[in-house]
Amino acid sequence: MNPMNDERFFDLAMKAVAQQATAAEQAELDGLLASRPELRTELEQLRSAARLAKEALPLVSATEATAGELPGYARGRLQTKVRETYGAAQTAQKEETKEAFGSWRWLLGLATATAVLALIVLPSLLPKPRVSVQVAMLDLAGTTRGADTNEVALLRQAWQDAPFESFTQSTKLEDWEKTWPKDAKSTTAKIIYDRSAGEVRVIGRHKGKPFQKTFPVEKSLSDALKLASDLVREVAEAK
Amino acid sequence: MEAPDLSALQRGNADAWDAAFRWLWPVVFAVAQTRLGPFLPADVEDVAIESLEELVEAAQTVKRAEELKPLVASIAHNRAVSRLREHFAQKRGGGQTESLEARQEQEGAPELAGGDSPLAHVGRGELAALLTELQAELKPEQRALLADFFLHGLSYEQIAAKHGLAMGSVGVYLKRGLEALRRVGERHPERLKELEAFLR
Repeated sequence: MNPMNDERFFDLAMKAVAQQATAAEQAELDGLLASRPELRTELEQLRSAARLAKEALPLVSATEATAGELPGYARGRLQTKVRETYGAAQTAQKEETKEAFGSWRWLLGLATATAVLALIVLPSLLPKPRVSVQVAMLDLAGTTRGADTNEVALLRQAWQDAPFESFTQSTKLEDWEKTWPKDAKSTTAKIIYDRSAGEVRVIGRHKGKPFQKTFPVEKSLSDALKLASDLVREVAEAK
Repeated sequence: MEAPDLSALQRGNADAWDAAFRWLWPVVFAVAQTRLGPFLPADVEDVAIESLEELVEAAQTVKRAEELKPLVASIAHNRAVSRLREHFAQKRGGGQTESLEARQEQEGAPELAGGDSPLAHVGRGELAALLTELQAELKPEQRALLADFFLHGLSYEQIAAKHGLAMGSVGVYLKRGLEALRRVGERHPERLKELEAFLR
């Protein structure tokens, strides 16, 4: 079909789909379809796209609407929902803290000397920040060497309870970086040792806010890991 | 009005939620109105409020405040469709099904009854993504032309006059718009397959 016929077919098909075709145009379209049956597939695709347009366009427009005011009576109902959803978690957190203080409260009532002692002891009794850490190493060379083994050991040692992954492809690592635990604690962090780049990257989220920092491996991997560990601890302890 | 502070919302800050509800209200109301207006106008506000309530929980999964509008639009759409289904099921008696044609005939609806929306088969997350992509992919002029042709029933001549275009180029613009629409659909191949199966 030459371009002119192609255009004509499209116009006829569009009018037919929108039920705007005259009897003559419909007959012309039927003639084209009879001579070129493969156009039926194209017509069906046009129908599908047109149907999607009819369905989706009003929603796209609605998504951009800016006129209208929230009814006053709805506000109370909606705020109740906010309290139900977030209030419970906040209350639980407060009670957890209260409990930790409660069992040691009598210390605070003792003489000054005891109070000083309490001030030293108390921080270690407070609930520790909830942190979830995952560790990974990217080694594009993909071979197991002596140095690798030592580095893996260092990584595992730095975060003993954290799951460890080793990647030889950066695309796989990228996928891993995008996957976050569903039951995310208040602070989640991923530590990535990029062997080729000679750096330790830290990416994470603390109370919904993302954070990240890169530490070049200069003197030793241990030093860079220590800096990464300090960063995670500082972020987790931040209010 | 600016987008609300997402981290404050995710901490349950009441003021931030107040601002968010005011910001999102026009969207949920417009979506509910689009779907329910012709059939259940008295339910529009109720569905809009329910959608905001559902968003309060769903907001915890959002990464950027800009995602809230498409997300709440898809929540409102799916809730409106469910409401319509319940309405039509009750009218016909529990457990009975009816053809789209029969329903249109009864309700005198020129277009689809909302309960048969092919988009109702798309989950809220995917529908939100689809809406975001359509916003980005379809230029406002393309959307206006497609809406005039498919939704408002304007002819090529009327569209040419309204938009100051040559008659011969109306088809070209429409074709580009549909192609953009199709490109978006192709990024969701599984959903497109389901939609097409539904549309056949």
